[in-house]
Amino acid sequence: MKFILDGLTVYFPYEFIYPEQYRYMLELKRALDAHGHCLLEMPTGTGKTITLLSLITSYQLAHPEVGKLVYCTRTVPEMEKVLAELQELIEYRNKYLGPNPPPIMALGLSSRKNLCIHPQVAEEGSRESVDAGCRRLTASWVREAALKSPDIETCSFFDAHEKAGQEALLPPGVYTLHDLRVFGRKQGWCPYFLARHMMSFANVVVYNYQYMIDPKVSQMVSRELEKECVVVFDEAHNIDNVCIEALSVSLRQQTLNAARRNITKLEGEVRKAQAANRARLDEEYRRLVGNLVEAQQLRGGEEWLANPALPEDIVRESMPGNIRRAEHFIGFLRRFVAHLYERMRTPAVVAEGPASFLGGVQAAVAVDAKTLRFCYDRLSSLMKTLEITNTDDFGAIQMVADFGTLLGTYSHGFAVIIEPYDERLPHIPDPVLQLSCLDASLAMRPVFSRFQSVVITSGTLSPLNLYPRILDFHPVSIASLNMTLTRDCLCPVVLTRGTDQVSVSTRYEQRLDEGNLRNYGRLVVELATAVPDGLVVFFVSYSYMDYVIARWHEDGILADLMEHKLIFIETQDVMETTLALDNFRRACDAGRGAVFFSVARGKVAEGIDFDRHYGRAVVMIGVPYQYTLSRVLRARLDYLRETFQIKESDYLAFDAIRQAAQCVGRVIRSKADYGLMVFADRRYQRHDKRDKLPKWITSNLKEAHMNLSTDMLMVVTREFMRSMAQPVDRAAAGKGLLSQEAVNAIWEQQRQQAKQAGLGGGSVPMEVG
Amino acid sequence: MSAAAASGGPDELVDHGEPIDEDEDDNGRSFEAFERQYATDNSWESLQEDERGFLRPLDATAELRARRQRAMSAAQSARIRKGMIRYVLLVLDLSRAAAASDMRPSRLAVMAGAARAFIRRFFDLNPLGQLGLAVLRGGVALRLTELSGSPEAQVAQLAQYGMDTGGDCSLQNALELGLEMMAGVPPYGARELLLLVAALSSVDPGRVQDSIAACKDAKVRVSIVGVSAEVHVLRRATEATGGTYGVALNEAHLSELLLAHAPPPPAPPGQLGAELVRMGFPQRAGGDASSTVFCGELPVLGAGAYTCPRCRARTQELPCKCHVCGLPLISSPHLARSYHHLFPVAAFEEVSDKQLQQLAAAAADGASSSGGDGSSSAVPWYEPGDTAAGAAAAEGALDGAAGAQRGLYCYGCLKPLMGCSSSEAGVPVAAQQQSSIVLRCKQCRHLFCYDCDAFVHESLHNCPGCECGAGAAGQEAAKAQAAAAAAAVGPAAGGGGGSSGAANGVAAGS
Repeated sequence: MKFILDGLTVYFPYEFIYPEQYRYMLELKRALDAHGHCLLEMPTGTGKTITLLSLITSYQLAHPEVGKLVYCTRTVPEMEKVLAELQELIEYRNKYLGPNPPPIMALGLSSRKNLCIHPQVAEEGSRESVDAGCRRLTASWVREAALKSPDIETCSFFDAHEKAGQEALLPPGVYTLHDLRVFGRKQGWCPYFLARHMMSFANVVVYNYQYMIDPKVSQMVSRELEKECVVVFDEAHNIDNVCIEALSVSLRQQTLNAARRNITKLEGEVRKAQAANRARLDEEYRRLVGNLVEAQQLRGGEEWLANPALPEDIVRESMPGNIRRAEHFIGFLRRFVAHLYERMRTPAVVAEGPASFLGGVQAAVAVDAKTLRFCYDRLSSLMKTLEITNTDDFGAIQMVADFGTLLGTYSHGFAVIIEPYDERLPHIPDPVLQLSCLDASLAMRPVFSRFQSVVITSGTLSPLNLYPRILDFHPVSIASLNMTLTRDCLCPVVLTRGTDQVSVSTRYEQRLDEGNLRNYGRLVVELATAVPDGLVVFFVSYSYMDYVIARWHEDGILADLMEHKLIFIETQDVMETTLALDNFRRACDAGRGAVFFSVARGKVAEGIDFDRHYGRAVVMIGVPYQYTLSRVLRARLDYLRETFQIKESDYLAFDAIRQAAQCVGRVIRSKADYGLMVFADRRYQRHDKRDKLPKWITSNLKEAHMNLSTDMLMVVTREFMRSMAQPVDRAAAGKGLLSQEAVNAIWEQQRQQAKQAGLGGGSVPMEVG
Repeated sequence: MSAAAASGGPDELVDHGEPIDEDEDDNGRSFEAFERQYATDNSWESLQEDERGFLRPLDATAELRARRQRAMSAAQSARIRKGMIRYVLLVLDLSRAAAASDMRPSRLAVMAGAARAFIRRFFDLNPLGQLGLAVLRGGVALRLTELSGSPEAQVAQLAQYGMDTGGDCSLQNALELGLEMMAGVPPYGARELLLLVAALSSVDPGRVQDSIAACKDAKVRVSIVGVSAEVHVLRRATEATGGTYGVALNEAHLSELLLAHAPPPPAPPGQLGAELVRMGFPQRAGGDASSTVFCGELPVLGAGAYTCPRCRARTQELPCKCHVCGLPLISSPHLARSYHHLFPVAAFEEVSDKQLQQLAAAAADGASSSGGDGSSSAVPWYEPGDTAAGAAAAEGALDGAAGAQRGLYCYGCLKPLMGCSSSEAGVPVAAQQQSSIVLRCKQCRHLFCYDCDAFVHESLHNCPGCECGAGAAGQEAAKAQAAAAAAAVGPAAGGGGGSSGAANGVAAGS
């Protein structure tokens, strides 16, 4: 349908539109008009992606001055989904726009691992090895050498693309990663570099969060994006954690050992170079004296080391003298690593600010903050000079340099925490040295200041007022949109008591209690008798899940459960979990029925959908608080309290509830779907927990469905499952939808009102005249 | 409604002034278990008070309409080819889930009761059909009866063996058993598998998808009535084979769903070839002791059996298959009783209140002026050939001798429908009227009350108005019924001459 929304012609590829989609578009348009940021919550299954795409591309069409749409997703499958929807949208739009539709260029950008088409390199297993493999074939010195001696191998795709130069262009269209690879094979061009090149011509770019947030990556990829761009973060409920991870480094003993080996290797290389080609090192020295680090031509495969600090924090000074010489720098690295080693051997936990840690470094190694700040740049310069291509082997020393640079650059918003052993396993020494970022707004600030409009959206962003505080920005539009439902296909319930009417909870004092565990066990068994096909159970942590399952096994609860459903368990091993999920789905398909035991904050809770019969009910056992004794979390809570005046308990509850909402939201992926959501903990009954849940859950949470015990829950469950199994009334489903006429009528009405207001205002001066 | 309730909740809770303490409970106002069910059910909102202080439902006709809609779906499917000669295997799931007592007294009792009612009704509506019984218990499918024709034997067998539960349910075993039993069914028979499932999981020995595909290939239609919830694999089985899947909300809904399978379903296109089926109409020997012989497959000594017209073998009951020559044996009333499925009475249309008032006015005019010549000229807004007003007028005239009442009456039961302004009937009648709906046959345009509509479509299968013709307007409903029955029997007894839309032509075997 094509309709007018607040004066903007919007192309929407379906015959009907949900009212919440219409409202979402209105909010979005308001933010775009105001050149501001916005924060929008709309539940999954309401077509958020297509709404976003439809409005923003229509807006781009009407306002050519708006720049690219930069759409950030969390995973590659999500990226592909977005591009597929965009393809449909553009196809639909072109029908309206006549024989010569305005060209649109949309593409997905991902790592080399997902885009490489070189027969050998693409076969490499990890992301790093593909990157290294690519560099081995495409680094400038390799290509120069290949010009002289033809037996040195290069990548023909890269060469062909390089040869075509600025002429290497994609025809307009929407390209998924697969399409890019196909096109690359056909043309003989490297899809990765082609995509990078085409970014500046594209109207829509879809890529990972990291490409925008992580300074190491965004400096390479997103540097040339213009200010007028619209940046969208989809599924952004965890955006603060992504920001923090992007600026945090943690070093283990193994890392330091590997770093030492790297240093030795570098030293050898330097010595070899001194013997063979002294001129090259001298030339580098001269360059560093003249601060030519940035003047280096960054071309082709060389751009793999970028400063981890944020662009505005990078000093524009020349390299300090004490590390200009390669051998001096090597010596410095060696001393620095030794110092870190020493610090790590502490018997007790140490938590200090970067400043005091720096003081320690200065005293021990006699290196000041400024030198440390240049650590990363110096390393990258050195490695380029030494023409090292197998970069994946030098990961450890890069991390150390990363650590040094961040430590030297930031004195605020960070903490250095040294833990000699894991809190949960105090007998096994496993020292870890963490430089953890405490302030999510650090990484987000450049994004907010650089781009005109940033849209943060997800199904679970409640409470909405917390995100602007944590990320330190001022949205022009904040909205939480509800889901219009034709039947009550969401059934959230709060279970507070077990079969014996004693309250259930996973709070610390009660979590291991015999009766409590048995109550939870009976709850799952009872549900398994009343819920068909798939049932998903989320626990608060891996260790708790392990303990509970072991106890259930002893009590025979698992055996009872097995009578009704097969049991699958998520583990920390990705392969194992994938296999378990696969078999879980097979059991559901075959009608055997299955239970999946999973963990909040785990991979499954974040990325796997249990839609349709794969998840007819989900149980959240307990409130998934973070491990509150963790030093990193403590430091972050302190920081939040001091800087943003956010109470510890508020933040913890917010974080726990958003995880819980995320978990239960796994079962509803569309309006035709239905699912029971059980919040099994007495603490959910409390007002401060419940009102942090997203609106689309609370508005469906009936008074009668709160404070239930297991037997009452069974009545509710049976009734719900029966009523949901009834055939859907198609006519009723259609009632909630707006047709093209209805939407245009809304606009017409608004315009009439505006006109009347305008006439009223206009008539006053006439009377005066 | 629910939004208001939810947002109302937290506000109440704020007043508690709860401490920061994690463990403090705030229950708010909670419901007792018995209240809970009605917490959001504001039933008083659907009631209103009339001028005399009686409580009346706001729209009583809505429910009647919905019920009628359901009843009519069969009539709507007129002229659809139907599989008349049905071979149905009814499978009861007696796994451990059937012992649950969420239906009173237990799922098992409710399911068995519904199954009994279904068996009787099935033979009532499908005299040509055959039914077999099986139960699922302990992971296997047990055959209780072979496909046969006798309802009482089936019910007895069910009562004897179908009363204990345990173990798992296996859809695959049920399907395999069905396939095995349907293997010998002649090609013109409609093969159906009807499962009554309580379990939520199916524990199968192999890939159930293969069995579903096999059912599809063998053209076995799998229909399922669930007792507890929707199970994906059951839904898939029914969708793949063209059957239906329903889940019962309560006891009444369960039997409703099950009984919906009693009338013959439409035949899927291209499934049954329209061919002649050889059948025998056997003679019944006299019931005196001298005719006592061994009858049937298990020779039972009995008097008064039926004689196969081809091989002279004796059988005890009809319909059946001759145990000697294999000829299907039926009696002509069986055929006649199947006939109405092929030519159901078209659905009556509903008459709105406004139309009804106009009709009533016309009827009053007709009655007072002409004395009932049935002329439609008095009602100018009505199309010619519309006999309802005229007929009503005629009736008015006819009854005029007795009570001088004027107005509209149901053609079936002569119940006053509207505008009966005679003083002794008074307001109660009018009040009663408002809670019902009036219908009209599209062909003869006679008016019927709701009850007669149901009777005509569900039991009588003939419109009395059409059968009597416009001239016989004054005839009693009983006579119309007799005539209708005769008309129904006629073509069937004549050897299937009228089976233009029928699945099977019928030829007498002897």
